[in-house]
Amino acid sequence: MSPRLSPMRKVVTYGLLGLLALIVLFPIYYMILISLKLPKDIYRTPSLWLQGATLKNYVDLLTTQNFLVNIRNSLVVAGAATIVSVFISCLAAYSLVRLKYRYRSWIGRLILLSYLTPASLLFIPLSVIIARLGLGNTLHGLILIYLTFAAPLSTWLLMGFFRGIPADLEEQAMVDGARRLGALFRIVLPLSAPGLVAVSVFTFTGAWNELLLALIFTTSPDIRTVPVALQYLITGDVFRWGLIMAGAVTAAVPVMVLYYLAQRFMVEGLAAGSVKG
Amino acid sequence: MVRDRSRAVTRPPGARETSGQATRKLTLSLTQRNSLLGYLLVAPVLVCLSLLVVYPFLFAIWISFTDRTVGAEGRFIGLGNYAYLLWQPSFQATIWNTVVLVGVVQTLKLAAGLGVAVLLNQPIRGRRFWRGLVLLPWAMPAFVAFITWKLLYAPQGGAFNLVLLGLGLVDSHVDFLSTKALAMPSVIVATFWRGFPFWVISFLAALQSVPRELYEAAAIDGAGAWQRFHHVTLPSIRHVVLVVLLLSTIWTTNGFENVWLLTQGGPSDATMTFPVLAYLGLQSLRIGEAAAVSVSMLPIFAMLALFVAKLLQEE
Amino acid sequence: MAHADGGLGRPTRWVLALVASCVLCVADPTGEAQAQGVPAALPKAVGTFTYWGGLIFSEEANTMLVQRIKQWGKERGVPVDVVMINQNETVQRVSAAVEAGTMPDALDMGRDLMLLLSRNNRLEPVDDVFDRIGGEHGGWLPSADSATNPKDFGGKRYGVPFGTSGNLLNRRDDLLSAAGAKDPPQTWEELSKLAAAVQRPPKYYGMGFALSNVGDGNLTTSMLQSWGGRIGDDAGKRCTLDSPPTRAFLKWITEAHAAGLFPPGVTTWDGAGDNTAYQSGQAIFIANPGSVYLYLKKNDPELAKSSKYSALPRGPAMRVAPQNPNVRAIPATGKNKQLAKNLLVYLADDKFMADYYNYAIYGPVLNSQKTASVFRESPLHAGLLDLALNGTPPGFPDVANAALAEYETNFLTPKMVQKVVVDKKSIQAAVQETQAACQAIYDKHK
Repeated sequence: MSPRLSPMRKVVTYGLLGLLALIVLFPIYYMILISLKLPKDIYRTPSLWLQGATLKNYVDLLTTQNFLVNIRNSLVVAGAATIVSVFISCLAAYSLVRLKYRYRSWIGRLILLSYLTPASLLFIPLSVIIARLGLGNTLHGLILIYLTFAAPLSTWLLMGFFRGIPADLEEQAMVDGARRLGALFRIVLPLSAPGLVAVSVFTFTGAWNELLLALIFTTSPDIRTVPVALQYLITGDVFRWGLIMAGAVTAAVPVMVLYYLAQRFMVEGLAAGSVKG
Repeated sequence: MVRDRSRAVTRPPGARETSGQATRKLTLSLTQRNSLLGYLLVAPVLVCLSLLVVYPFLFAIWISFTDRTVGAEGRFIGLGNYAYLLWQPSFQATIWNTVVLVGVVQTLKLAAGLGVAVLLNQPIRGRRFWRGLVLLPWAMPAFVAFITWKLLYAPQGGAFNLVLLGLGLVDSHVDFLSTKALAMPSVIVATFWRGFPFWVISFLAALQSVPRELYEAAAIDGAGAWQRFHHVTLPSIRHVVLVVLLLSTIWTTNGFENVWLLTQGGPSDATMTFPVLAYLGLQSLRIGEAAAVSVSMLPIFAMLALFVAKLLQEE
Repeated sequence: MAHADGGLGRPTRWVLALVASCVLCVADPTGEAQAQGVPAALPKAVGTFTYWGGLIFSEEANTMLVQRIKQWGKERGVPVDVVMINQNETVQRVSAAVEAGTMPDALDMGRDLMLLLSRNNRLEPVDDVFDRIGGEHGGWLPSADSATNPKDFGGKRYGVPFGTSGNLLNRRDDLLSAAGAKDPPQTWEELSKLAAAVQRPPKYYGMGFALSNVGDGNLTTSMLQSWGGRIGDDAGKRCTLDSPPTRAFLKWITEAHAAGLFPPGVTTWDGAGDNTAYQSGQAIFIANPGSVYLYLKKNDPELAKSSKYSALPRGPAMRVAPQNPNVRAIPATGKNKQLAKNLLVYLADDKFMADYYNYAIYGPVLNSQKTASVFRESPLHAGLLDLALNGTPPGFPDVANAALAEYETNFLTPKMVQKVVVDKKSIQAAVQETQAACQAIYDKHK
């Protein structure tokens, strides 16, 4: 791959990027627009331009709605769920891809099939389990529950990434004296760093944005996560648009920051150094 | 383990031909050790799943054969729920709508995902910015994304109509969600917008993992850009494509907020899908029926899942 | 799979009856013990007393309820945890809690949920509390009494009403008066004629009524009934939808739609669709329980001044203006049932309720509450008082049983309208298809 683009390719590339930006950003722009308006303006004078901008929604969100508490809760839950899930999934994915044992394919299928149950059905039997474990209305309980969708997702995605790495590299390392797990940690993981970042991001955002299970399993206002808090801004037939959009914009920031950091340090740090020159 | 030295050595495939007693000792017990390690490594995920998913999964299948309502043990009624559902005209429309919605959306996401990933893998300025940008639709709760799209589509005062009327492209407002012919395409577009970041980021990660040497070798052999893409890129990312296709299809088929918030399954069942039907069953506290709706999707899912699993687990 | 008890066994019923009679013996008929002081007979709380309140739009009202319950807890020496539950999640949350055995000690709910749960023996009978509160406050209003009538619930009362809600007709008095119509329309047909005369599409449309798969869309069922149509027969067992009045209603509403009297998008409006239309100045008439009034009061005084409220119009056959009671109920699996009953009595205090009604959008349920000032001072609340006194019982003229509840949760009447205006089916076909679907539902409940 040439390091620079030809002029023709440049035009096409940047043109397409512009189109991409338009498609992605137009709805986001509209969200930000609404977050900066008062209710009366949202209803009576809908427009595409900023008229009478106000930060009142953001102020209300952080003061009367206690949104920072919700963000903190979401960070704890999503962070813990991601770390645990990615760790155990790395192990499981490696096992399913590299090691051979009798029921390997059945286990793989089981992990996948159990993923097919939609949350809209899962939540009732899950409530029974969580109640028995005494984990209702706690963040720990929520983290445990999030492993239900995080683990199969991460495992299968990582299987896809691991499979793309040639087995020879690990065999070479093991001949040189490394153990299996050492091969996993020192060869496979660095090479699949982009994949690890992707999986971590998806697990994190999945947990960050999950609504139904969080709604059912938390009752106290001070352990509500972000999606639940936003949902509470809809009472019956009243949508508090300004607050909802302000909340959505605010809540997207930590996710974007984490993705940026993960890209920077994991992909460009690890992968760049370990690709054989 | 020392005793096994007399047994014929079954070398696990892929092991290098090496010499030396030390290596043979390692190779002899490798199969057993690998098995044990294999089970051990996969154990945590399995434990989680058996506790949290297998029981609910079996529970759902069980209650779909009963007339259970919330708080009351149901009686076993065999295929009663399924018979009731099949007979409903809503159900027939539901099957068709679900197939159309999922089929079209997944195709769009595959094309766009691959295209955008390739685009972003090029040496462009501000790469990190563009890669971050593409995550945005995914970085908010699903319901926020879809209520925003509801606002965008609103016939009076909605952003799209403001643009269309402002540019003079239409004479009167377009009712995207209530016009029978436009409802499903509108839901499709919104669902695509929300879901394509997953594809782009996964494919991008897969593209980044393709070793540079493979491209260089192909270039030395005289392959052009398209040939390199076809013979190096695609095969290398094949596994990731399959997994993403599978997971995303499951999600999209189970997707609830997109239809519910945009059209509630209307107008007149033009966008009714399985998850919405199941939700309506739950609202009447008839969880046996709701379970039957969800379980009736399973055979197709299972077949798809097993097919992809087979492709992935082939050596 | 182990589950929580599927029903109350006979011995349990006897114990409950015994407990109920003990409560009656101990309760002070003069109401002295109600306000202050702890009657010696109140048991200690088992764990924390949990209450699930119904979250409504008015933040002030929500806060008032929470404070009041906490105060009760302080006075009784009971640790209290109050959680406000959003309407949108009540069914899911209650379903999960019933199955997992984690229901609170008391909660707010609507009549339909009360009906479904009581059928599965998930609620504690509260006849004693009902009678006591009625006695202390000049008697229940007939609407509150009939909504929780034991004969509909297997011989017992399972909920204590605390406020009625229902739709009132909101109208743009400024636009209508300018066209010479100062009084509210008395019939639906009059309304559609007014709408046609006064509306100026696309700026504003006349009939802002949802025809979509949401609760608002079920106003069409009330309209249908006001034409003389019936969903079920008098026994509530057979579907009788297909009839000349039903067809006449369907003809009227679909012709109104064809004439462009409805704003665009009504067939896929969500619950907030009519609110948005009115608050954006795009609808002349809507039916709303008062959330629009509260919004306008706070955010748009200009539009608030131009709005007036009245009862839903009559149809050719009768007036159907449903009023729905909201009740407080006690789950059968609660551990603090006596305390819960005590709380319910405490919350019925006249002064508290008068203050509460100031901020909430409910009509009264007890005779002593009729005199609260808000019902004279606020035009909307005057309408709610009228609804409480003169509104029709839930489901009237049909039997409000589980079959009708399921008919409504499946939005069959709005869907019937959609069949004609969206799918362009004939009125005949639409009515017949809906009749079949309706009968299938009634068959399930035989």
